[in-house]
Amino acid sequence: MTGFRIVANVTELPTTTFGHRSPMWWGTIGFIVIEGSTLFICAISYFYLRRNFLNWPPEGVFRPALTVATVQAALMVLSNIPMAMVDRAARRLDLRAVRVGMVVCTLLALVMCVLRALEFEALNVRWDSNAYGTVAWAVLTAHATLLLLETLESLVFTALLFSPNLEQRDLAGASDNALYWYFLTLVWIPLYAIVFLSPYVM
Amino acid sequence: MSLTVPAVPHEPGRAPESAAEVVGRLEDTWRARPGLRGWLSSVDHKSIGKRYIITAFVFFLLGGIEAAVMRAQLARPENGLIGPDAYNQIFTMHGTTMMFLFAVPVMDAVGLYLVPLMIGGRNVAFPRLNAYGYWVYLFGGAFLYVMFFLNTGPDTGWFSYVPLAGPEFSPGKRVDVWAQTVTFTEISALVASVELIVTIFKTRAPGMTLNRMPLYVWSMLVQSFMVLFAMPWVASASMFLAMDRLVGTHFFNPAEGGDALLWQHLFWFFGHPEVYIIFVPALGFVSSIVATFTRRPVFGYPAMVLSMVATGFLAFGLWVHHMFVTGIPQLGASFFTAASMMIAIPSGVQIFCWIATIWSGRPRFAVPFLFVLGFVALFLIGGFTGVMIASVPFDTQVHDTFFIVAHFHYVLIGGAVFPLFGAFYYWFPKVTGRMLDERLGRWNFWLFFIGMNVTFFPMHELGLLGMPRRVYTYLPETGWGGLNLLASIGAVTIAVSVVVFLVNVARSLRVGEAAGANPWGADTLEWAATSPPRPYNFAFTPVVESREPMWQHPAELPAVEGLRTDVREVLVTTLLDAEPDSRHRHPEPTIWPLIAAIATAVLFITLIFTPWGAVIGTVLLFLAFVGWAWPRGKDHQEQLMIEAES
Amino acid sequence: MSAVLQAVLQFPGAHSALKPAGPQARIAEGLWNSMYATAIVVFLLVMAALLWAAFRRRRAEEPAPDPARERRMRRVVAAAVGITTIVLFTFLVSDISAGRAVTATPGKDAIQIIVTGHQWWWEVQYRDSVPQRWVTTANEIHVPVGRQVAVELRSTDVIHSFWPPNLTGKRDLIPGNENSLWFQADSAGVYRAECAEYCGHEHAKMALLVVAQSPDSFARWLTQQRDTAHTPADSLTSRGQEVFLSSACAMCHSIAGTPAGSRVGPDLTHLAGRATIAAGTLPNTRGNLAGWIVDPQRIKPGARMPPNQLDPADLRALLAYLETLR
Repeated sequence: MTGFRIVANVTELPTTTFGHRSPMWWGTIGFIVIEGSTLFICAISYFYLRRNFLNWPPEGVFRPALTVATVQAALMVLSNIPMAMVDRAARRLDLRAVRVGMVVCTLLALVMCVLRALEFEALNVRWDSNAYGTVAWAVLTAHATLLLLETLESLVFTALLFSPNLEQRDLAGASDNALYWYFLTLVWIPLYAIVFLSPYVM
Repeated sequence: MSLTVPAVPHEPGRAPESAAEVVGRLEDTWRARPGLRGWLSSVDHKSIGKRYIITAFVFFLLGGIEAAVMRAQLARPENGLIGPDAYNQIFTMHGTTMMFLFAVPVMDAVGLYLVPLMIGGRNVAFPRLNAYGYWVYLFGGAFLYVMFFLNTGPDTGWFSYVPLAGPEFSPGKRVDVWAQTVTFTEISALVASVELIVTIFKTRAPGMTLNRMPLYVWSMLVQSFMVLFAMPWVASASMFLAMDRLVGTHFFNPAEGGDALLWQHLFWFFGHPEVYIIFVPALGFVSSIVATFTRRPVFGYPAMVLSMVATGFLAFGLWVHHMFVTGIPQLGASFFTAASMMIAIPSGVQIFCWIATIWSGRPRFAVPFLFVLGFVALFLIGGFTGVMIASVPFDTQVHDTFFIVAHFHYVLIGGAVFPLFGAFYYWFPKVTGRMLDERLGRWNFWLFFIGMNVTFFPMHELGLLGMPRRVYTYLPETGWGGLNLLASIGAVTIAVSVVVFLVNVARSLRVGEAAGANPWGADTLEWAATSPPRPYNFAFTPVVESREPMWQHPAELPAVEGLRTDVREVLVTTLLDAEPDSRHRHPEPTIWPLIAAIATAVLFITLIFTPWGAVIGTVLLFLAFVGWAWPRGKDHQEQLMIEAES
Repeated sequence: MSAVLQAVLQFPGAHSALKPAGPQARIAEGLWNSMYATAIVVFLLVMAALLWAAFRRRRAEEPAPDPARERRMRRVVAAAVGITTIVLFTFLVSDISAGRAVTATPGKDAIQIIVTGHQWWWEVQYRDSVPQRWVTTANEIHVPVGRQVAVELRSTDVIHSFWPPNLTGKRDLIPGNENSLWFQADSAGVYRAECAEYCGHEHAKMALLVVAQSPDSFARWLTQQRDTAHTPADSLTSRGQEVFLSSACAMCHSIAGTPAGSRVGPDLTHLAGRATIAAGTLPNTRGNLAGWIVDPQRIKPGARMPPNQLDPADLRALLAYLETLR
C-alpha cells in the first residue's frame, strides 16, 4: 500500500450544503432529466400519432373540457410560491418555516391529485377508444404518476420534519424537494397546452 | 502544478502521526455487517460491484449457451435439433440477455467498482440506491430466466417489433415478460448512470480537476450521460407496448390510428446509442491498459476526451439507419448516412492515438495488452462494415441478413468484450489480490481471437449470399451449409476459450500469485489501495496533482486528513476543480434497498397478470421507501447543530 | 416447370447480392466492391502501423516522451485523421449519388404488381383497369425481362420484408404504411427471395420466386393466369374437386370458377403451374403436395394451415384435381 503525506485538513468544512454543492441536488437533477425525457417522449408520440388522423380529435370524439384542467394548471404555477418559501427557509435553516411551508405544499399536492382524477374525466375520451385517446391518456398518466410519487414523498418528508430524529442535513432535502417540485409543476404547463388546448387548434 | 486546498492551517508534509489509529477506527466504522443479513444489507460499492460483475458474467454464460444452441441448429441445413418455437425463444433470449442483462450491466458494474477507487473516493455518491439498482437488475434477469424455463420466454426478438409483439399476433405472456424485463434493467441502468455522474462530479479526490480525470472515468461519465438520455426511450416504448397488450391502448395499432413505425423510432433512438453505451466504457478500458502496458500516458489526452464526448453526441443522430428499409424519404436517409459515417472519425482519432502511444512507449505484452491488440484488429473490421451499412443502397441489400450479424458481433465482441476481458485480466489482481495466470490467459486470448473470426467472418458472406437473420433453418439448395458449419466450428472454439478463462479464474482464486497493491506499475489511484481494497478504500483521501498520480508519487501520495472516522464520512469536492467543499455523511448498511427492490419486482410482475398489480406494487413500494428514508437514531454532533439553530 | 425447378435447385447464385441481374443490385454490388477494396487496404495499413508500433526494435533505454517527438506524433495522427475524413467523404458522395439512382421513380410503362405479406406466404396480384382481368397468385412473381416492375408492398398482419437480392435491395411491408419499390430483371432466370424481416414462427420458410422471362412468354403466362380454373373432365378429378369444396380446403383457399372464394390462404386457381409449395419451401411435386396437405405442421410447424385427415382415395382424387390446375 502506498503511504500518505498529509497536506491539508478538512475538519472545518461544512456538513450541510445546498444547491449544486450538494450531491443530492445533482441526483435530483439526474432524475429530473430521466422523468423529463419520459414526458417529452409522451409529447412527441402525441404529435407523431397526430399525423395518422385527418381530424384531431378524430370524428365523433368531443374536445377535452377545459375548466378543471385550467384550474389545475393555475394551481401548479401558483404552488411554486409557497415552495420557493420552503426552499429559502431551508437554506437559512429555519425549521419552523420549513415545517409550515411543507404542510401547506403537501395539502396543495393532495388537491392536485384530486384535480388530476377529474382531469381524466375531462378528456372526454377513453384510452382504448383510439390512438388519440391513448396518447392523451399517456401524457396525463405519465405526469400523474410523478405527481402521485411527489405527493407521497412530500407526505413522508413532512412527517420526518416533525420526527425527533431530524438532523440538520435533512433540511437540504427540503431544498432538493423544492427543486423537483419546480420541475413537476412547471413541466405541466406545456403538457397541459398539448393535451387540453392543442385539440382546439390542430 | 499547484493545488489550492482551502482548509484549516496544517503542517505541510507532516506524516500522519496516528495513521494506525485512523486505520483502526476506519476499520471499525466501515466494517461490513456479519452474516447473511449483513451480506444482504451491504452498501459498499465494491461488494455490490463484484456481485454485479459476477451476475452479469453468469448471464454472459447463459447467453453464450443460447448462442451455442443456435449454432448447433444452424450447423447444417434443415437440422431438426430444435424447432422454430424453441429457436425463436432462444434467439430472443440471446439478444435480450447479451444486450440488457450482460453488456450494459457489466459495463456499469465494472464502473461502479472502479470509479470511486480511481477518483480517490470512499464509495459511490448514493450507496443505498446502488444496492437497490443491483437487486432490481438481479430480479429482472432472474424473472426472465424463470419464465424462459417455464416455456414463457419471449419470442419476438430483442427488438420486439410491433405488430408482431402486439396483443393480436403474440397472445400469451411471452412478450409481457420481455417488456417487464426491459423495464427492470432500465431502472437499474438509469440508477447506475445517476450514481456514476454524481460520484464523478462531486466526490473526486481534491485536485483531480476534470482535466486530470483518468480516461476511463471520462468514458464512464460519457456513458452515464448517454444512458440518462437513451434509456427513457426504451422504457417508455416498453411501457407503451405493455399497455397495448394489457389494457387495450392503441399506440401501435394501425387500425385505430396507432403506428408500427412509432415503435421503431422509439426503440432505435435508444437502441443505437445502446451500442455506444456498451462501447464507450470499453474505450476507457483500452486507454487504461494501453497507458499501463506501454509505460507512458496515452497520447493526445484532449483529443481522446473530445472523441469520446463526440461519440456520445453523434450516437444520438444515427437511429434511423436501422430503418433504411422502412421507406423513409431519401433526403432524411442521407442525413443519417452522413452522421453514421462521421462517427467513424472519433473512433479513428482514438485508434491513431493509441497506436502513437504504443509506438512511443515501451510495450509489455501481458495478456491485457494482447486483448487490446486483438480489439484493434476486430474493431477495425466491425467499423468498416459499419461505414458500409451506413450507405443506403448497400444497406438495403444486407439489412437483416447475416452480414449485419457479423458486423455487430465484430463491434460488440471485438469492440467491447475483448477490452472487457483485457480489463478482467488487468483489474483482477485489484479485486481479488491475486494474479491471473499468463499462460492460460494467452490460450484464452488466442482461442477467442481465432474462434471469433472463424465464427463471424463467414457470416459476412452468408449475408451477401442472401441468408436472412433470425431463421431457424434453411434449405440445402441455398448453398449456405458450408459457411454455417464453419461458423459453428468457430463457436465451439470461443466456448473452449471461455472455459479456459473460467479455469484460470478458479485456479487463480485458490493458488494465484499474490498481487500486491500495484502489480502492473500503473498510474491511477485505484492502485494506491490495497488489493483487495479495504471497505473505506483509502485511509486518507488522496490529493491529486497530475493525470498520473501514481507515477508522480509512487511511494507516498499527498492526502488530506480531518474526515470523521467515527461515522462514515466522505469528502465532497467542487464540480470543475475538485476543491474540497463539504463533508458528507454516508448511510450505514441497510436492508431497505433490497426490500424496495422486492416491492419493485412485485409491482412489475403482478402488473403482467392484473392491472391491480399497479396498486399493490405502489403501496408496497411506498412502504419500502418510507422504511428506507426514515432516520434511525441521530448522530450526536448533528443533533447539537440543529438544536442550536432552532 | 421442371426447368424452373432445376434452375432453383441447382444455382445457389439465384439468391445472392453478389450476382446482380438488375440495375439496383448492380449499383449496390459496385458500392460493395469499392468499399470492400478500400476496407482491405485501410485495414492492412492500420494493422501494419499497429504491429510496427508494438514490435519495432527499441533501444535498451527508450527516451521518455519528449515534447519535440510528441509534436511530430501529433502531426502524423492529424494527417491520419485527415485521410480518414477524406475517405469517408468520398464514400458519402458516391453513396448519395448511388442512392439517387436506386430510388429514382419507375417509368410510366412499368408493370404494376401488388405484393401482400401474410404469415407466412406472399400474395401477388397483377391489377388491370378491368377487375375481371386481375390475376392473383402466390409465392411467385413473373416479370418480363428488361422492363421495370413497380411493386406495391402491403401487409395485413405483421411486418415482412421483400428482398430478391439479385434484383434489388429490400423494402419492408408494414401494416398501415404503404411502401413500394421497383426493380428490373436484365436477363431471364429464376431469382429467389426470402422474407427479410422477422415475422414470427415460420419466418425462415417464407420465400418467393421471381421468374424473369421473355416479354412474349410473360404475356402468355399472364393471359393464361387470367383464365378461371380448369373444369374437371373425368370422374377422378371431379371427385377431387368435390373433396376440395366439401372439406376444410375451401374455407381458406379460392379457386376461380368454383364456389371456393376465401382469401385467407393462397389462391390455388393455377397451383399446378407454380414451381414450389409452402412459400418456396418444397418443390411442387405430387408427393410433397400430399405430405403438405396431410400434415403441414411437420413441414412448417406453426403454419396457419391445419392438418387434414383425408381418406386415401379422397386424397388421391384431390391431388389429381389440384394437378389439373395449371
